[in-house]
Amino acid sequence: MCGIAGILYKDTDKCFNVGQSLVNMLDGCQHRGRDSTGFALYHKSTPGQLHLRFFVGDDDGTAAAIGRVRNILDEFGAVVVEDETIGKTHRVVVKFDGDVQKFAYALEHGAKLISIGSSLDIIKDVGTAHDVDESYHIGGHQGTHGIGHVRLATESDVKPEAAHPFWATGFADIAIVHNGQITNYWKMRRRLEQRDFEFRTENDSELIAVFLAEQLSRGIALETVLEQSIDILDGTFSFLVSTDTEIGYAKDRLAAKPMIMYESDELIAIASEEVSLNRLFPGETLDTREPLPGSFATWSKST
Amino acid sequence: MVKVDLAKISVTEANDRIRAAGENGEDVEVFNPDARHHIGVGLIHPINVRVNGSAGYFCAGLTDGPNFTIDGNVGWGVGDNMYQGSVVVNGNASAIPAVAIRGADVVIKGNIGSRAGQVMKAGTLCCGRNANFMAGYMMYGGRIIILGDSGERLGEDMSGGSIYVGGEIQSLGTDAKVVDLDSDELDSVRLFLDQYELPFAGGFQKVVNTGEHLHYKGVEERVRPMPFHAFSGTHAYWNAKTQEDIQIKSRTGRYRVRGYGAARPMPHLSDLAFRADVAATADDDVLSKVNLRTVIGDKHGAKPLDLSMPVMIAPMSFGALSRSTKVAMAIASSMSGISENTGEGGLLDAQREAADQLIFQCLAGRLGWNIRDMLRADAVEIYISQGAKPGFGGQLMAKKVTEELAAIRGIPPGIDLRSPSRHPDVLGADDLAIKIEEFREATAYKIPITVKLGAGRVRDDIKIAMKVGFDFVELDGSQGSTGASCADVLEYVGVPTLAAIEDALNGLAEIDCRGQLPIVLMGGVMDGVDAAKALALGADCTAVGTAAIIAGGCIACMQCHVGSCVVGIATQDPEHEKRYKLQQEAQHVYQFLESMRWQLASIVHANGYDDVKQLNRNDLVALTPEAAEITGLEHAPELRERERQRLPANWKYEFAVR
Repeated sequence: MCGIAGILYKDTDKCFNVGQSLVNMLDGCQHRGRDSTGFALYHKSTPGQLHLRFFVGDDDGTAAAIGRVRNILDEFGAVVVEDETIGKTHRVVVKFDGDVQKFAYALEHGAKLISIGSSLDIIKDVGTAHDVDESYHIGGHQGTHGIGHVRLATESDVKPEAAHPFWATGFADIAIVHNGQITNYWKMRRRLEQRDFEFRTENDSELIAVFLAEQLSRGIALETVLEQSIDILDGTFSFLVSTDTEIGYAKDRLAAKPMIMYESDELIAIASEEVSLNRLFPGETLDTREPLPGSFATWSKST
Repeated sequence: MVKVDLAKISVTEANDRIRAAGENGEDVEVFNPDARHHIGVGLIHPINVRVNGSAGYFCAGLTDGPNFTIDGNVGWGVGDNMYQGSVVVNGNASAIPAVAIRGADVVIKGNIGSRAGQVMKAGTLCCGRNANFMAGYMMYGGRIIILGDSGERLGEDMSGGSIYVGGEIQSLGTDAKVVDLDSDELDSVRLFLDQYELPFAGGFQKVVNTGEHLHYKGVEERVRPMPFHAFSGTHAYWNAKTQEDIQIKSRTGRYRVRGYGAARPMPHLSDLAFRADVAATADDDVLSKVNLRTVIGDKHGAKPLDLSMPVMIAPMSFGALSRSTKVAMAIASSMSGISENTGEGGLLDAQREAADQLIFQCLAGRLGWNIRDMLRADAVEIYISQGAKPGFGGQLMAKKVTEELAAIRGIPPGIDLRSPSRHPDVLGADDLAIKIEEFREATAYKIPITVKLGAGRVRDDIKIAMKVGFDFVELDGSQGSTGASCADVLEYVGVPTLAAIEDALNGLAEIDCRGQLPIVLMGGVMDGVDAAKALALGADCTAVGTAAIIAGGCIACMQCHVGSCVVGIATQDPEHEKRYKLQQEAQHVYQFLESMRWQLASIVHANGYDDVKQLNRNDLVALTPEAAEITGLEHAPELRERERQRLPANWKYEFAVR
């Protein structure tokens, strides 16, 4: 039960204050959940390089966790280009061009892996948008697009790893944020597990990430996958998905969870509530649109 | 003209100023609204409010009298529960515009979101363009005018009112049909459109209820009431009750409906005992030695309920019960210094007058719910579900839905009322947080807001209740009773009271909030001994419903649903109600409540305490392995013998009022 937000600036030649925009949008709907806040941001990619982020805590175990991660990186011959320990996480940029899924599953033995991508970087922790911004300097992030989430934990734990966005472990650059409840979670999870997909939490939203990534990995277009998701997922949902070049949404047929969007020549912004959109344009009356029940759409950077 | 700038002040501060302007009869203009929630809620004066921009959720909600104009768009629930007055929105409206209105005009010039006009009772919702999914869902009256297309499942489960569609009807909902409209009606619609300057030259299709689902099919024959001890007996599998159930179902082809709660034995408070020998320490003067006062509801700064003992009258509706019974409960509650509760179906003047402390209950159907009664309540309660039938809405059979009762609730008279089970604006914990905030804004943060939770997934629900900001929780186990329900639900759906309190305490402990959210435990609390056990387990207060009704003359025939209650309690028939001696029964209920006080005090005293809050789990043992397993209390079957020898079945009544 949550609030979601996403933004994509269409002009890819420039960099925009995506981080600050998402912090503001999520602060606008913080009343929908104060347990945790998270962001999926995209860096400029460099061929052959991967961005990794791990939960390593901020206690006595931190150094050991980083050490374990280092060993696994060495095993896979991944060369560290850049690293940083910030908040409860450790961020690494490595040179690596092997099988990402195997690499990711192996790295899980070192520390809790939050995301992998040529450009994706997921940052999430307990606390509000401002708390997470303060610890991880989200506001300074420049880019073209990203999604974010505030969470009110209802069934699973309040832990950083149960926060959104969810990355589909093993599949680079795909993140989702979700508001609602997937009721055929266990059925679908077992089906995906039989195909060797691994789950890291018991949060129903992780299922959406794994499901989408599995479909995308077969080369199916994002738009088609979203269309399928409306039939295949059971329950209430309004979710956003981001890849290294696109964002998209899908909304269930009962329209139980809110979603509203604003589009101009410059950008597309989607959120649970208009109050978040208005945070981008204070004092203005926006020409917004509410997606229809059972609808979906995608927008890509105009490369 | 009062100017309010939301770029400079909070919505709470703005609402204070808007209310003050209302009292002074001044109009208001709101600047920089930026789609913030709850603008202008709770306003009861006929002033004009102009919002220069977009508003968020519940704009103009819980109001009676004002006229709102919003330049931009609005979020969920614009004009929520509005009585008199109007709202004109120049942009689009999100989901459930005009939810539960009772007379207002709500005009949206753009598109409207899903479930428009859900559970509306009277007034007009007009949409200048297209409507989304399920417009008119469960509407009871009034009219919806849609100039564009309708969206899918129009008029789903409507029981009254009319929907006029100028464009295409995408599809009709269950129990809705298209009929011709006469020229008077058309004139009336056109007059409305002229009044709000909505030019429209085309014709309309009219959608109404088919009438096919307003009554149960197959009348359940009347049977001779079976005494409760036989009814709930466990001596044989094929006992009289089982046979009767089968016979009746075989004739009607559907489930039975009855009153009361689960008759199936399950672990309960009676399976616990105090270690202390209460009977041995009985003391005539115990009331002066023990403090029972309980203050509840000030967690978020509201004026709390101040109870002379940790007991409330449980929520029971005017509807299920007669007016006289409700007033008797109110009188008794005041005599004993505790609180009464309206239950579903509105607040009665006589009840308000008689009750010193009154909780006003808000249910999904919003039947009788309104701002003016909220403002004169001592607490408001959001009903999510009840222990007797968790997950189901209220049920009131046609005989009880009289003209008077229907008028209060805003529904068509004479239908088998099956109230919605789910709030139109609470589809998740996130929505619930916003709903609570609306209530707080509408009542200026002055009165406590509580939640009634039927025991289901208590461990999760209690955490949500904690996080979304309730002042306390009324937790209701499956031994709780009700005025009418599917009998199988009564017996087999829900979680026993004993397990419910354990789950609640464990859930709060899991998020490090044990002791931070007061719990009122109810569901088969039969007397002061049960109440003391509930408190020792970890509840902060208890409530009695069935016990209070029995004290006031109920003979436990379980035919509450029929509406012909022989003692005038569960009836709306004046002839039957006449049999109820209001003052006398109020005195009886009071005496019963005082016997509870005596028992509570005696138990507190016997345990060596001088304050009821000192009762704790170490004072208790479990008498059965099942109760020990559920509660984690020490299993002490040897005390069963003591209970039998030294506490004869009628020992409790020895403490009655002198």
